[in-house]
Amino acid sequence: MTSRSTRIGAPSVRSRHAVLATLTVGLMALTACSSGSSGDGAATQAGSTGGAGGPVTLTLATFNQFGYEELIPEFEKSHPNIKVTHKKAATSNEARDNFFTRLSAGSGMADVEAVEVDWLPEMLQYSDKFNDLNSPDVAGRWLDWKAKAATDADGHLIGYGTDSGPEAICYRSDLFKKAGLPSDRESVAKLFGNTWESYFAAGKQFKAKSKVPFFDSIGATYQGMVNQIPAAYENPSDDSITATDNADVKKVYDQVIQAGITDGLSAKLQQWGDDWTASFQKDGFATMLCPGWMVGVIEGNAKGVKGWDVANTFPGGGGNWGGSYLTVPKQSAHPKEAQILASWLTAPEQQVKAFKKVGAFPSQKQALESQDLLSFKVASFNEAPTGQIFADRAKAVTVTPYKGTHYFAINDAMQQALTRVEQGTSPQESWDKWLGDVKALG
Amino acid sequence: MTAPTLTPGPAVKPAVKTRRGAGLVRRTQASPTAYVFLAIVLVGSAFPLWWSYVIGSKDSAAIVQDPYSFIPGGHFVQNASTVITTIPFWKALGNSILVSGTVSVLVVLFSAMAGFAFAKLRFRGRSGLLVFVIATMAVPTQLGIVPLFIVMSKLGWIGSLWAVILPSAVSAFGVFWMTQYLHEALPDELIEASRVDGASTLRTFWSVALPAARPGAAMLGLFTFIATWTNFFWPFIILDPGNPTLPVALQQLQAAYFVDYSLVLNGVVLMALPLIVLFVFAGKQLVSGIMQGAVKG
Amino acid sequence: MTVQSPSRTTHPDSPGSPAFVQRSPMKPRSGWRRRLTKLDEKGAPYAYISPFFILFGVVGLFPLLYTAWVSLHKWSLIGGQGNFVGLKNYTDVLAQPYFWNALKNTISIFLLSSVPQVIAALLIAAALDSGLRARTLWRMGVLLPYVVAPVAVALIFSDLFGDKFGLVNHLLGLVGIDPIQWHKEVLPSHVAIATMVNFRWTGYNALIFLAAMQAIPRDYYEAAMIDGAGRVRTFFSITVPQLRATIIFVVITSTIGGLQIFDEPRMYDQYGLGGADRQWQTLTLYLYQLGWTQKNFGRAAAVAWMLFLIVVIFAVVNFLVTRRIASKGQR
Repeated sequence: MTSRSTRIGAPSVRSRHAVLATLTVGLMALTACSSGSSGDGAATQAGSTGGAGGPVTLTLATFNQFGYEELIPEFEKSHPNIKVTHKKAATSNEARDNFFTRLSAGSGMADVEAVEVDWLPEMLQYSDKFNDLNSPDVAGRWLDWKAKAATDADGHLIGYGTDSGPEAICYRSDLFKKAGLPSDRESVAKLFGNTWESYFAAGKQFKAKSKVPFFDSIGATYQGMVNQIPAAYENPSDDSITATDNADVKKVYDQVIQAGITDGLSAKLQQWGDDWTASFQKDGFATMLCPGWMVGVIEGNAKGVKGWDVANTFPGGGGNWGGSYLTVPKQSAHPKEAQILASWLTAPEQQVKAFKKVGAFPSQKQALESQDLLSFKVASFNEAPTGQIFADRAKAVTVTPYKGTHYFAINDAMQQALTRVEQGTSPQESWDKWLGDVKALG
Repeated sequence: MTAPTLTPGPAVKPAVKTRRGAGLVRRTQASPTAYVFLAIVLVGSAFPLWWSYVIGSKDSAAIVQDPYSFIPGGHFVQNASTVITTIPFWKALGNSILVSGTVSVLVVLFSAMAGFAFAKLRFRGRSGLLVFVIATMAVPTQLGIVPLFIVMSKLGWIGSLWAVILPSAVSAFGVFWMTQYLHEALPDELIEASRVDGASTLRTFWSVALPAARPGAAMLGLFTFIATWTNFFWPFIILDPGNPTLPVALQQLQAAYFVDYSLVLNGVVLMALPLIVLFVFAGKQLVSGIMQGAVKG
Repeated sequence: MTVQSPSRTTHPDSPGSPAFVQRSPMKPRSGWRRRLTKLDEKGAPYAYISPFFILFGVVGLFPLLYTAWVSLHKWSLIGGQGNFVGLKNYTDVLAQPYFWNALKNTISIFLLSSVPQVIAALLIAAALDSGLRARTLWRMGVLLPYVVAPVAVALIFSDLFGDKFGLVNHLLGLVGIDPIQWHKEVLPSHVAIATMVNFRWTGYNALIFLAAMQAIPRDYYEAAMIDGAGRVRTFFSITVPQLRATIIFVVITSTIGGLQIFDEPRMYDQYGLGGADRQWQTLTLYLYQLGWTQKNFGRAAAVAWMLFLIVVIFAVVNFLVTRRIASKGQR
């Protein structure tokens, strides 16, 4: 299932080892049922040494780029009784492996553990192993959808939101200009409109005047569309599979194939593949769905290519792709101090600093009003005011799609179905195969 | 054709028997064809390492802009120092040496012991057990990881280097290899002689079998060392990011929204360097070991 | 033991293989001493194999049996053990077309990798065994691919085999050949994966062959030379038959490794599931998908056990075939 997130689900997953991450989910389950709670993991636990009255040492486990390096000394200064050891894993996958491994073993977790939104649903199934972080201090701190996603069925708030991935559309202004279309970001946003129909119509207009494909992949585009369906594959009340009978799913499937294949708008590249990466240097495509952190990916891959910009719009409303939370496992010996740390790090002021440092876009309401953030611009994107744009996009997110236990398997099969169509299989045949795949899950 | 079918002859032919000819007359001088052929093989073999070096010595902009240039850039040292400071490089290096070294010693020792028994001692259940050992190589490892993890968590070894060392110390391949090797490399006359002198099996093993096993053991040790050194899957699952082996630590170089492959492949080269140093030392030993076996028996 | 006999013919001066424990003549000794010796004889073999087997019991046998137990139950990766279902997981899997597809892919990739690999390794070993200057350099050189981390090999090769912008297609384009769809067509994807495997393991096997070649008595060759046999002739009439046991060893171990191929197909694209149409999904990838994407651990365990049986069958068949081929010309 993580392979899924390699493509679209997770911003932080770039490695080919993505698949590995899934392993530990199984490890967790099996160990949990075989050993109950196992013995001493003290050896692996770096922190939690504080005696009565003495200073407390907390461990903080993050991954990828949270931008906390300079914040931690600041925290220690203002909280003289707490020391923080920062354990940084490379990728979200590696962190996830460690996370579930230690959760299953019943020991060895950090006092504050970062969790990515992609594995949040899995983790929420074990919400009883985490402290409820509800507190008047943080009530209303986050965008509603952000807090809702980390709240379990009993109303416990399991994680404090850190960053998020509100989506806009990135585009090549130079290619638009060459095609004789408007190229400044306001006009392009208008051209794209705010429905999928208008976005695809703009694509046809572009295609008439350019040889460059309009967007990168139907799989990636589908993902933006399906995330706007509140319950695409499963019934939220009993987790039963509804994907095959859901007319909305079929509609999105047909629509994206019509645009990408029949109308020829797709570059037929698969995200994170070698061809996709290389295509940034070769005018591979003109637009793509674009969460805040994608700006950095484009900057890296498209070094030397001028003309990328970002339009302040997203078809069909809003969309979110990626983002993380800080949790406090019940394993922690210092849950109170851990909560203080998590709360401090996820406060709007700190997240704005992290954004300016590494580009992790805040999920806090107040942060979205910050002048520091709103005035932030990216030079290589034609001085695009990304702070302002993604703040607007974050407010446009309304739907939190339900992802149940079969979500990853079903969505994986769907992504394969779409890839098959890009490789030449007929849409109907590929759809039928997908139906078979989903049925085989039962 | 019963069970013993899986106990074929020696992997390596008996050194002893060759003492008549070997070392005295080289067969012939190698033909130019052999040199050309090997040169082609060598170029192909060195390619990925060379390619890693090429990429690892450029800055990230140069890679994306000109992905197919075979000329190294000038940033190798600079990239290497970035790698070393970004990840716990020295700790990982120490761990890797410790783990690979211990595993190699254990594999060679256990395999030589079991190989000696399988090849030269007679006991009930011998054939059955040997076939069993070989059959275990056929077990898909992907599934074994889950139960293995359970074992390690029971032992309280999650995050510990022992959790990496012990599973690797059991090598069915090694036992198969040493059985094959000793079966022929250790002449029965020698054992016989040792027996007549009244030596215990332990003494026989120590002073007769082990010396005869040396060339085979050297090769097994080298293979095991390299395999353990590059092993990623299991250490990645079981170890902490703070206490990693080299491959696990190098994984951390991919921790960014945009992965800088100049650093990733620079790390690949850094990781291969100690092995190449090992080659320079063990290589000589290994090659002469093969020859020595041939001469001394 | 059939195989041992040829090695005896190889070395006519070998006195057969007496079981030294039983035949060894003994000097007269005192009673306790004799008992001790007897204990040594009876017990020692077990003592020698015990370190391996004890450790193996913990880290090898337990997982194996555990998997068997899992395969007989409904077993969710998250929820754990369910009802006992007997062989239902096995019949379910056998009824899935994907299983047969994966079996086909596995065998195809296995053949594409192991056959050329063994032949190339033999040739390289033969070249290395001729009187080369700077022997160590050449020998260590062929082992270079083995020291490069598999991740790097996969990174490099999957880049080379890119459908649109890969170097291989680029070069083919220069000589006017249409680009090959490495990630879409079945056979090209198998060829690309087999290339990665061959790349990493050919030198390794060549060294194993070399070690065995070193031990072939030189006078065999001298005799053949005197008879006027050329290099090619001696290679087939002396080298290959003499290496019989080693060839069998290499074929068996590479059969076992080849049928369990996992890393290469997994890293061949960024999804790791064997292609959108399962073009290169091998059995291990299939069991991986069952277990970790679909969280159906019972079925995954069933596939693991069937794979185990398939590997054993292949190993035995290969053993028989190789033995026959390699013993030709020996007479």
